[in-house]
Amino acid sequence: MLLEFELNGKQTRVEAEPTLRALDLLRDVLGLTGTKEGCGRGECGACTILLDGMPVNSCLLYAAKLQGRRVTTIEGLTAEDGTEDGAEDGTEDGAADGGGDHACQGDCPPLHPLQEAFLAEGAVQCGFCTPGMILSAKSLLDRNPDPDVGEIEEALSGNLCRCTGYGKIIKAVQRAAGDGIKAAREPGPGSGAGKSGRRQRGATR
Amino acid sequence: MNGQKLSVVGRGVPKVDGAELVTGRAKFAGDLRFPGMLYAVARRAGIPAGKIRGIDGSAALALPGVRAILTAGDIPGPNIIGILPPFDQPVLASQEVRYEGESLALAVAESREAAGRAAAAIRVDLESWEPILDVDQALAEGCRKIHPEGNITFSKRLVKGDVEKGFAEAEVVVENTYHTSFQEHAYLEPETVVAVPGGDGRVTVYASCQSPFHIRGHVAANLGLPASRVKVIQAYTGGSFGGKDDVATEIGCLATVAALKLQAPVMIVHERRESIVGSNLRHAARIHYRTGSRRDGTIVAREARIHLDGGAYASESPFVTMKALIHAGGPYHVPNVRVECTAVYTNKTYCGAFRGFGVPQVTFASESQIDELAAKLNMDPLELRRRNALRAGQANATGQVFAGSVGIVQTIERIAERRDRLPPVRQDRSAAAGAGSTPEGRWLYGRGCACLLQGISNGAEGIDVVGASVQASQDGSVLVGVGLTDMGQGSRTVFAQIAAEVLGVTMDRVTVRQVDTDSVHDSGPTVASRSTTVGGMAVFKAAEEVKASLVKMASLMLKCEEEQVLLEENFAVRASSANNPEVRIPLPEVCTAAYWTGFPLMHLAFSRAPEARFDHETHQGDIYIAYNYGTHLMDVRIDRLTGAVEVLRHLAAHDLGKAINPMGVEGQVEGGALIGFGMAHLERIEHEGGCIRNANFADYAVPSIKDRLPTETIIVEDPNPTGPYGAKGVGEPPVAGTAAAFANAVAAATGRRFTRLPIRREDLLAALQERDAAKGG
Repeated sequence: MLLEFELNGKQTRVEAEPTLRALDLLRDVLGLTGTKEGCGRGECGACTILLDGMPVNSCLLYAAKLQGRRVTTIEGLTAEDGTEDGAEDGTEDGAADGGGDHACQGDCPPLHPLQEAFLAEGAVQCGFCTPGMILSAKSLLDRNPDPDVGEIEEALSGNLCRCTGYGKIIKAVQRAAGDGIKAAREPGPGSGAGKSGRRQRGATR
Repeated sequence: MNGQKLSVVGRGVPKVDGAELVTGRAKFAGDLRFPGMLYAVARRAGIPAGKIRGIDGSAALALPGVRAILTAGDIPGPNIIGILPPFDQPVLASQEVRYEGESLALAVAESREAAGRAAAAIRVDLESWEPILDVDQALAEGCRKIHPEGNITFSKRLVKGDVEKGFAEAEVVVENTYHTSFQEHAYLEPETVVAVPGGDGRVTVYASCQSPFHIRGHVAANLGLPASRVKVIQAYTGGSFGGKDDVATEIGCLATVAALKLQAPVMIVHERRESIVGSNLRHAARIHYRTGSRRDGTIVAREARIHLDGGAYASESPFVTMKALIHAGGPYHVPNVRVECTAVYTNKTYCGAFRGFGVPQVTFASESQIDELAAKLNMDPLELRRRNALRAGQANATGQVFAGSVGIVQTIERIAERRDRLPPVRQDRSAAAGAGSTPEGRWLYGRGCACLLQGISNGAEGIDVVGASVQASQDGSVLVGVGLTDMGQGSRTVFAQIAAEVLGVTMDRVTVRQVDTDSVHDSGPTVASRSTTVGGMAVFKAAEEVKASLVKMASLMLKCEEEQVLLEENFAVRASSANNPEVRIPLPEVCTAAYWTGFPLMHLAFSRAPEARFDHETHQGDIYIAYNYGTHLMDVRIDRLTGAVEVLRHLAAHDLGKAINPMGVEGQVEGGALIGFGMAHLERIEHEGGCIRNANFADYAVPSIKDRLPTETIIVEDPNPTGPYGAKGVGEPPVAGTAAAFANAVAAATGRRFTRLPIRREDLLAALQERDAAKGG
């Protein structure tokens, strides 16, 4: 069947078997391999994508269900993200400048504040759960820019991570939220995260 | 390298490969696509033991999209894999089924789905046998032999002093038997390989793996190819923790056999169920332990008998046996120690390497004993540990003496200091909190601590050599290659920091390649918390050689002695002196000049750990180049009504010599701690008749974000002379400390000693109900 949906801010038309999983459509047909398969049963969250802004496990979703929807994958969180959200408020540039301690050079697009925060806090180890984790966090922050720890826990409880122990992931989401709020309050360049120096350890539970 | 001002080493830096990971651009093996790529799925036995009478792939081959059904006869070589002797695992079994995940045939098809359907359609005729399910059954006289040599995989002893004499002198003795369960690695990325035939008589295997050289060796042998025709490239690897070693060689061989037969790229991606059933687990253990001390708390003798259930194949059981043996005595100075450790075959999923490698199991037993002893002596458990803790110059359980970097006492003292400064745990004993319960209130509070040590480097397990190359380009950028893999733990970042430090370049000028067996020296497996220590030393040495060229060149350009040249922040600098102001030349100019002058800009260096020298009968001798020492403290509260445990505090102090990247250290400690917590409280592989019945993430409880620990990492740096900048590894040690501290905290809270891990919520609830019933009656 012909599927038409908005993918990372762009209208997309693609012919696909209706019984294909959304995960396979993204990875195998559209070449967006940033979305990962960890269990194929909706138990680990590695395949999380956003559907009209809400996180879903794309391994449990038929491709046909994407019809007419707004789909965001990790690939849509970088350069295109501002367009997708219609939020050209300079947040990303600010954060990218402020937290620009990562080794990304040359062709690397500016990172989303969550991506910056995950790097700066050391919330990434193997990185396999990271795309799904970041998308679940983005969905949360879009709905609730200032979540408490319990709300972050709840939002990320469907995303398993075996490497980090999660503490740094909580801090990364808090950092991105703090940066977002700061940026909204005092827009303009240089409003982003600090350097990767030592931060106060927040009790996380 | 000591005493100098460091610019990058010792600084918490983000991962050098972080940007590609957070953007989803990093290519994991399953993200690779090649024209005409096929997919393969193995047909697994599904029964734990039996005879293979026949395999018929004709119906499967007739299904749409199916290209081949391969069986043992299609493997040109010996059809054997294994990490160490006895190499005892077939790639595809043809005679006997030894565990439910045994691969019998391989279906190759144009899609993963078609391959899966074909695998299911392969007809297998199996004569089912009564499985051998546990250690006692396997060791019983007359038991069927799982392998021709019998059911003992490996058995060794450690003997120090005279343990009988020691116990005769003991005034207080504690004795108990402890059990731990099988644990699954549960890395988020399932095992994946792609084999791509080249047009040049070679084959390239892209793998999610821990030890690419193992894959190269096994693929070459089983294909009957010279190893020089096989190239293995480690793709980005989504976690491993010891797990992607044996299984990566298995699917590496399978994919290559199919790829060469069909002359097409072949990918194998495990499903989650296969990942759990068809690759190694952490050994289940039974440990009988006895500890004797004087009344003042001085431990005089320790004795342990350990049985490891290793499942169907040897895998790394021999080395896990030795590691458990060597570490069972704990980080204490004990004059008389005897340990026996035996790994046993059963008809279950095989066991091998898993972060900690036998140490978490024995640490749980050993540290439970110390607490039981403290209770009997009426001593503070931390003080008892401090009193017996090993010091520099004292012989450990293998008789090895280190002159320094024995930081166990420092970790205990740092924990004690931190503990004393912490506000007391606020205990809610209000009447409301006791609703529906007893007058004591709803919550039970307890504090536990545990000490551990973990050997760094291969040690007794064999030669420890790592090769590294460092190459400076004319533009002043630096390329580093190391034969050890980064599976997420951050070793690429550590290697980059070391190269940047030596060469005076900024981190953004350093690139650390993924491992590719063509271009680095065989560096053995990435195991034993040795990357930073042994691998880091190789990078350091190679970088020093390149630095020598640059300094020589710079001294000519700056017209000064080599000793006056400093490399820093991408410049060669001649420091100012009485007569001369400071002069700086950009490093790219120095590199370019060095190239045109003919000074070498690339160097290959080896780091070779001193060989272990020990008596193989008694395991007395010098075994590891260093140990990581740790002390953990945990405060818990247990809900009397539900058995739910809340960890209120977790302090983890480790002596790791020097933290090259403190942020990475915290990540290792926090992540390792949660795996230890899973082992101690949540995770248990459930077997039924030899088959795993919870091989998915719904039924097997991998800790979620709600289970995370409030871990506070305390870094102790007692420099290790054998590591770069004094560093020692930290990957494995936090697992053991956390698991043991949890068990002791729960015992303190409930007043009951739990001898079996995991101690789950339902176990706690049952024990509390029993206890309260006994009190009431």
